Amino acid sequence: MNNSFSFTKPLLETPFHERTYEACYNNDWYRWAGYKIAREYSNTELEYTAMRNTAGVLDITPMHKYDIKGADAIKFVDKLVTRNVTEIKSGQVMYIIWCNEDGNVIDDGTVFCFDSNHLRIFCAERNLNWFSDTAIGFDVEVEDVSDTIAALAFQGPLSCKILNLLNVKNIENLKPFYFDDFDLNGCKVTISRTGFSGDLGYEIWCKNEDAISVWDSLFKFNRDYKVLPAGMNALEMVRVEAGFIQPNADFMSAEQALRPNRMRNPFELGMGWLVDLNKNYFTGKKNLVDLKKKTLTKKLVGLDIQGDKPAIGSVLYDKNKKEIGIVTAGMWSPSLKSNIAFGYVDKDHMKIGSKVFAEIYHPEELEYKKIWAECSVVKKQFFNPPRRHKVPAEI
Amino acid sequence: MRKFDIIIIGGGHNGLVAASVLSKKGNKVLVIEKNEQLGGLSNYVDSLSYISEEVLKELNIKIEKDINENYVSALSDDLNHTVLKINGNKNIEILQTNASESDQLNFIKLINKYDLFARTLRSFMFKKPPRVKSGSRSDIWQLVSMGLKVRLLGKKNMRELLRVIGLNIADDLEDNITDNILKGLLSNEAVIGTNLGARSPGSILNLLYNQATNNSIFRINKYNTHSFLNSIREICKKNNVEIETNKKVEKINISNQNVNSVLLDTGEEIQTSSIISNVDPKTTYLKLVGAANLDTDFIRRTKNYRTKGTVAKIHIDFENEIKINNLDTKYLSGKFVYAPDIKYIEHAFNDNKYNKLSSNPCLEFYINKNKLSANIYFIPYLINSAHDKKKILSNVKLILEKFVTENQILSSTIETPNDIEDKYNISGGHWSHGDMEIDQLLMMRPFYGSSQYSTPINGLYLCSAGTHPGGGVTGINGINAAKQLLKDNRNE
Repeated sequence: MNNSFSFTKPLLETPFHERTYEACYNNDWYRWAGYKIAREYSNTELEYTAMRNTAGVLDITPMHKYDIKGADAIKFVDKLVTRNVTEIKSGQVMYIIWCNEDGNVIDDGTVFCFDSNHLRIFCAERNLNWFSDTAIGFDVEVEDVSDTIAALAFQGPLSCKILNLLNVKNIENLKPFYFDDFDLNGCKVTISRTGFSGDLGYEIWCKNEDAISVWDSLFKFNRDYKVLPAGMNALEMVRVEAGFIQPNADFMSAEQALRPNRMRNPFELGMGWLVDLNKNYFTGKKNLVDLKKKTLTKKLVGLDIQGDKPAIGSVLYDKNKKEIGIVTAGMWSPSLKSNIAFGYVDKDHMKIGSKVFAEIYHPEELEYKKIWAECSVVKKQFFNPPRRHKVPAEI
Repeated sequence: MRKFDIIIIGGGHNGLVAASVLSKKGNKVLVIEKNEQLGGLSNYVDSLSYISEEVLKELNIKIEKDINENYVSALSDDLNHTVLKINGNKNIEILQTNASESDQLNFIKLINKYDLFARTLRSFMFKKPPRVKSGSRSDIWQLVSMGLKVRLLGKKNMRELLRVIGLNIADDLEDNITDNILKGLLSNEAVIGTNLGARSPGSILNLLYNQATNNSIFRINKYNTHSFLNSIREICKKNNVEIETNKKVEKINISNQNVNSVLLDTGEEIQTSSIISNVDPKTTYLKLVGAANLDTDFIRRTKNYRTKGTVAKIHIDFENEIKINNLDTKYLSGKFVYAPDIKYIEHAFNDNKYNKLSSNPCLEFYINKNKLSANIYFIPYLINSAHDKKKILSNVKLILEKFVTENQILSSTIETPNDIEDKYNISGGHWSHGDMEIDQLLMMRPFYGSSQYSTPINGLYLCSAGTHPGGGVTGINGINAAKQLLKDNRNE
């Protein structure tokens, strides 16, 4: 018998850990799905600047990856998500969200189509239970392949150029939301033109044993281009600028929320464009049809805030100082030189251009400075450069 | 393609009751039954059933009450059997027993207590259960009247009801009586047909619920099940209900969340806009409707709905007329229970928990001359394997040999929960199409999202024992489902 036990099991290390450990000057780790991921390598602003000006490398191995295999693979995903995926082609990626029966959002993610019998879903939260229950009655097998695939996000304006320099053939012609197999420094990798930064960028999926070689090759031209590894703090900055929302940060996943009024439907999150009510039956359709007819009582919007102090955790008010909502994510954007945030507002302030007020508590040398800042409601997508969509990409 | 106003899947008693009600209103009704014989599981009932007076009134049926005196004999290994005489529900008399005077007194007191509580529950048994948060006035009124009924019991009784309703039967029995046979006799009524032992919480609720639906603590009633079945069959015939037996529905075709047609195993498709399914909820949703038309949460609840059957049926033919040792022959017309004490039941239940055969099972049986028909428990439903029927028979034989001597078994047939599942298409072969436990009762029967006989599919209704008020031959499920359908059609 093995009698040895310990009270704590250390966090798992990703296949890139040998390198991320070396690079992580701060030794500051974030816990993501049981893995150690660097929160900040040395300086968040520097890592952010790399992502916006050259390229940043993010270890996204802990992303949950579910293989959907079987004759009903597409039918199954179509039943799961609110978008019509029946037309998905091999090599295509689709951004998807899925809801529970009440029409409240559980999680978002991307689906990769290898062929009509094999799809793969990537998402931030664990969903195997939900997928397996959804698979009842379909000829599919859902398998959690998270641990078998190592992944890096390679994001930034020079990402295509560097991949091109690395002899990744034809990479510039890969369209946004498509993926293909490539050869990178002698390793077979899958590269998709997707990402969480709202800029030109790629996600690289490889075998665990090729991880170090792939990591090293991305830094090969660093004498000229200064590619930096980027941590979760820098990722948080770029994703807010890009207008991407995150479960359990900007909304509670319907599978995890304990209080029913904390769940959010796609219309409240500004994701109505992802809901196709004319497609075949999917989980939540019945209630989403009703919800679409109702006027929204609250909505997640983008906020452009007066001043330069980030409105993290602020409460939002109308001009009569009546509480109307809360800020879910806020930051000073160095690229846009503006103070931006996501926040929930009530039905009278959803329109673009509406004025609301944020009460910001800004810590200043052991004292709070209370700021009453005017905000205007804007689109959530703050940062969206043309190079992000350009085909062929800039090399 | 043939077309009907309403199709009823399954010709069990509830299906036939629903067909009678709907055809009376001038609907063109078709009943499809998988087996040759109509009536489904109600054919299994050896005793008399409690058929709700409301059902008899609604359908205008008159069946003769069985006026015979009824007896319940609890068999004891030392052959000092206990015999009860049942006159109606309240009047229970102990004819012979080994128990002390005070035990007898307390036993009757206990039965009267349960009877009082069961009558309180009875008032919500035969109505459509209220739906929580529906906002409808009748639903709110029903919830209020439920609370009021309990409050009207008086302070002392209300407290006692609230104390025992979640309790296990063994605790309450041990508080009041000492005689093992009497304890076993009442425990039998609390655990038979369930996945509960005498010490499982909720067994008192099950006892009260059984008592409320059957109007009798020992489930002995006044109406002959078979004459009831004959009467409803006649009504169906009179109202031109088409009944097709030996045909199985393979699938319910649905378009845009509306019922469209049914597909039979013969390949025929029959068009309809309304279906009442007398098939158990699990089979209805997972096999007939198909998961693709239902929300994942709903599928999850369907999957988790507990339907593991625990009772097997055995029919034994003896060579000669059966006599029970040390028991007067005039009691032979009654019911026999072999569950000699709480420990015995609990041990039988333990095996069930691990999907094993109890080597010392409990028995409940009826005798008709040289025929004996028994319910044996606990015989768990098995997934992917089958029970050794020879072993079941030899276990039963070992028990019967104690009481039936100088008689030979000529033949026997055993139907385990697995056989019942195959024959009647009931998931898990469960008596009541699903455990009768607190989370699967009233507005939660069969589960959230499917209460009040309706389903997420427009035009599809449930009327099986998987709906409120559950199992037993009452006919209430059929009537309520039919009424709900008629109401919805009126509102359209």
